[in-house]
Amino acid sequence: MPKPMIEVTQLRKSFGVHEILKGIDLTIRQGEIVVIIGPSGSGKSTLLRCLNCLELPTSGRVKVEGEKFADESGKYNEKRVARLRTEIGMVFQSFNLFPMMTSIQNVMAAQIKIRKKTAEAAKTNAEKYLKKVGLAERMNHYPSQLSGGQKQRVAIARALAMEPNIMLFDEATSALDPELVGEVLKVIRELADEGMTMVLVTHEMRFAEEIGDRIIFMDKGVIVEEGEPSELFNHPKHERTKRFINQVLHPESEKTLI
Amino acid sequence: MEILSHLDFSTALNELTPELWQGLLIALEATVGGFVLAVILSVLLAVGRLSKYKFLRGILVVLLEIVRGTPLLVQLVYMFYVVPLLVSLIVQFFIPNYQFQLNPLLAGILGLGINYGCYLSEVVRAAILSIDKGQTEAALALGYTRRQALWSIVIPQATRQAIPVFGNYLIMMIKDTSLLAFITVNELLLRTQAYASQTFLTIESYTILAIAYLILSLPLSQIVRLLEKRSSKHA
Repeated sequence: MPKPMIEVTQLRKSFGVHEILKGIDLTIRQGEIVVIIGPSGSGKSTLLRCLNCLELPTSGRVKVEGEKFADESGKYNEKRVARLRTEIGMVFQSFNLFPMMTSIQNVMAAQIKIRKKTAEAAKTNAEKYLKKVGLAERMNHYPSQLSGGQKQRVAIARALAMEPNIMLFDEATSALDPELVGEVLKVIRELADEGMTMVLVTHEMRFAEEIGDRIIFMDKGVIVEEGEPSELFNHPKHERTKRFINQVLHPESEKTLI
Repeated sequence: MEILSHLDFSTALNELTPELWQGLLIALEATVGGFVLAVILSVLLAVGRLSKYKFLRGILVVLLEIVRGTPLLVQLVYMFYVVPLLVSLIVQFFIPNYQFQLNPLLAGILGLGINYGCYLSEVVRAAILSIDKGQTEAALALGYTRRQALWSIVIPQATRQAIPVFGNYLIMMIKDTSLLAFITVNELLLRTQAYASQTFLTIESYTILAIAYLILSLPLSQIVRLLEKRSSKHA
């Protein structure tokens, strides 16, 4: 069995009085592609953000490649968290490109600042990844001059250029116009073929079914059901899973179910 | 009507202009020095006020209220006459008979810099707060620490956003250098006053002075307008 990349044990997260995650246990192994689905407000994005410590768990722990984010005494040391984060690339729904930098500068910045690469090495590397996402022609464009799909591909290149071992995608296509979704999914699919370990939160059910090794269905802060895509989509065990999958795959029949 | 026939602009212009050039250089020195100080201070103050340390935030709020609650002229006079005395008093505990003196222009630069730094810090603070949280998160996800994200991702964007407002404050500062006349800095106003009282060419002198300030500030306003247009790009 491949080695675990991310191990989550008894993870709980509350915002004020609202408990968003109610005890999550999850292991993601090397090369595995895990897709998290579920209704909005189910806690899937919060779970993903806990995986690279953008949200601090209220209790429970997250380990990355065997190393905990919190140290022995349960404290979160900033340098340690930052170092672990370099192993995890993250792609956001709203791209979050740095607007004052061109595409290539966006991809170079962290390599120079964090990985301490020379500008030249960073540039060569950035060119490689921008080509990989099909944006060789857009290297010197500012984010404001790019389409949503292009922005998201630059964001993917920016994350990849840090050469992470794991990639997290937080609804990477949700903010895109329908005709631009394909170009981003294509890049993600290529990464999958190369064996990248990935965790995706998505609303694209067909894509989830096609790409995922394992689908996790979350609702109200717990993992309701997980399994292989064909199993989970075609023969869901739980009533809640059934209802959700029916709703998203056959929205027109929603009324009859409720 | 008799006064009008006695107006002598050509004499005033001939005699006052060389004086004004000299004064202008000093005013520019004060503006450049004061503004550079103000910009540096404004960023530091803004970051300090967003810090997690309550004590630091408290001190800075007090400083800000003092500066905003007293007239600039009073601050300049205080900086020139009182601060050197206070410094002397304190240092005299260690070195007897020590006398600290502040050159008028330097006192003016410090006074202008601190005053404008406080006002600009509010602009910078608002700009920092207006930057999308996603920017910090993207930087953190790439392995930046909070401090690195603030200084290399958020603050460059915030200052860029604040540049047009900075420009307006720069123009205000040029005009406020006239207050330095009260702490014996030989700038435009002081020279004009001296000339007017010697020659009694009051209307002429002060009219020329006003026009001199206009010649200074009008092109700057244009530049600010240009900057406003440019900064809306790639924002």
